[in-house]
Amino acid sequence: MAADTQAGGRPPATPDIPPPRTETGAIGWAYANLFNSRHNAALTVLVGAVTAIGLWFCLKWIIFDADWSVIATIGGRFIIGNYNTDHACPGNNCFWRPQISLLMVTTLLGMGWGIAAGGTAKRVAIAATAIIILLAFLPYSLERMGWDVRLLLLANAPALALGWALGRYTPLGSVRWIIIFTVAGFLIHLLLMRGIEGVPALQPVAINQWGGLTLNLMLAAAGIGLSLPIGIALALGRRSRMPVVKLLCVAFIEVFRGVPLITLLFMSQVLVPLAFPEDFPLDNLFRAAVVITLFSSAYMAENIRGGLQALHRGQAEAARALGLPGWQTTMLISLPQAIRNVIPAIVGQFIGLFKDTSLVYIISMLDVLEIGRTFIQGNTEYLSHAKELFIFIALVFWVFTYGMSYISGKVEEHLGVGRR
Amino acid sequence: MIDTKPETAPNEEPMIIARDVHKWFGNFHVLRGVTTSVELGNKVVIVGPSGSGKSTFIRTINRLEEHQRGDIIVDGTPLTQDVRNIDAIRRDVGMVFQQFNLFPHLSVLQNVTLAPVKVRKWKRSDADDVAMELLTRVGIPEQANKYPGELSGGQQQRVAIARALAMRPKIMLFDEPTSALDPEMIREVLDVMRDLAESGMTMIIVTHEIGFATEVADRILMFDEGVIIEDAPPAQFFNNPQQPRTQTFLSQILT
Repeated sequence: MAADTQAGGRPPATPDIPPPRTETGAIGWAYANLFNSRHNAALTVLVGAVTAIGLWFCLKWIIFDADWSVIATIGGRFIIGNYNTDHACPGNNCFWRPQISLLMVTTLLGMGWGIAAGGTAKRVAIAATAIIILLAFLPYSLERMGWDVRLLLLANAPALALGWALGRYTPLGSVRWIIIFTVAGFLIHLLLMRGIEGVPALQPVAINQWGGLTLNLMLAAAGIGLSLPIGIALALGRRSRMPVVKLLCVAFIEVFRGVPLITLLFMSQVLVPLAFPEDFPLDNLFRAAVVITLFSSAYMAENIRGGLQALHRGQAEAARALGLPGWQTTMLISLPQAIRNVIPAIVGQFIGLFKDTSLVYIISMLDVLEIGRTFIQGNTEYLSHAKELFIFIALVFWVFTYGMSYISGKVEEHLGVGRR
Repeated sequence: MIDTKPETAPNEEPMIIARDVHKWFGNFHVLRGVTTSVELGNKVVIVGPSGSGKSTFIRTINRLEEHQRGDIIVDGTPLTQDVRNIDAIRRDVGMVFQQFNLFPHLSVLQNVTLAPVKVRKWKRSDADDVAMELLTRVGIPEQANKYPGELSGGQQQRVAIARALAMRPKIMLFDEPTSALDPEMIREVLDVMRDLAESGMTMIIVTHEIGFATEVADRILMFDEGVIIEDAPPAQFFNNPQQPRTQTFLSQILT
């Protein structure tokens, strides 16, 4: 690098001197950052001691004192709620339906890996599949967790490989097809979950019996997939020169931002039906999904508007001066830059939305958190182990939100945000 | 209005005609009746103190600023509210900005090919060829796949010129193209502009580069308080200015 800074490859006038040892290596780093003054050294020792003591007590509790059996007892219901119980699915043979959805997800992850040919997509795909494969080896009895369940979990490995091959070696390996398959897969998932009247293998399961992590993820997927485009439309509408469009967008944003989500969810049970024909098959879940999506869209719109406002006026002017019409200027110049600049805010909104899906408990849907809470309520012998249960559920949420955060960080890196 | 322009001799009319152009920013009267014309192939340099309306004037020529009174006719097309006219004029009028205004999320090559592909509907391969040709002409073909943020200011401005030229414009507008550049980069941009001038392009240039103006310009216009106060060939403009305000201005920038 040093030679590059010299014009014409001339050797530097003064020779390079290696940096002082305190600037490099682990010891150098510790010296420069942790022990660079007497105060800092004292603080380092103090904080180190407190952390070590805290960690010791945590580990001791986790390994020796805690009783994690409550989690094993709830088991698969964390994932699909009461979906496969006698009440929801007489015969208990509905478990495979969400598992097919899972296979579709791993196939899509595989396609992503195949297209990106490594990097973040690969790490995410492999990590997710590895967790799923590990679930197949849980030490449950075969009566509790049969071969069929385990084999369907193991099938995620070939599904990943299939997706990878599709992405790598077929014309389906493009972002456009991944989006198409994701939307199609989501609709197939809904159909599988719902079941079809008269088909013995697909006996209908009432929607209010859906639950567990599947429910959280479904609501989050629909909300994320729709709130971004709706948010973009609202942001553009709010900047529109047409007063009516602008007024409507401002009103929408301010109303949905100004009311708590819980209030909106309660209201949804009363108000959403007004927007649809009387015989439209509306269920609680659909109403909740609509409200969560619109709530998130309002915030999304403001995030994106912030990104648009931060753009230099010259960008749009340069595009218009080249003869690009207004909508192309927006789609090709303004929006890509605006969205890129507010990725952290957008992902923050996605994470918030995912966590907010837990609030569907107030319309009596059993999401992963509510599955745990109602279990404790109905089985008071586990009451003293509520800690373990809620720590586990918190961990589940964290794994997903951290995943989102990790991916967004990598996307930012890839796009060179902050560099160019 | 009946189009009386003869098909056989389209070049007899000036490329740009401005008649009594007025423009207000709110209550501020920026352009107070600008009347001038620019012939095909002419190079016109505009000078004047800041706030005199020179930038605003060239920005009205491609409707980045809307004038509120008077007429502007570009290559026979009058600038009116008609969006089709505005788009047609913008396709044929290239503009280079003080702040370059390259698109930072697109590579250099994509910056240059964007408008030809999206507006002129060229095939991507053709647009790529033309873009590489232009980047070679402005001296930076090796930077084609870099992003604007990785280039020096002078290189960015040369990309901006190539981007404007990619649309095959009939007129090029330069709004203080070297004012944001470090001194050692000004020359490389002026060299490209000189080369362009020699190729016969019709150019309007707002600049403070007096040496460049003397060498390249057919006419120099002096703007002050929203009107043209002096309009003369370089030799006469610099050696024998008629207006006292021009003399004052020249004495300020030449010292």
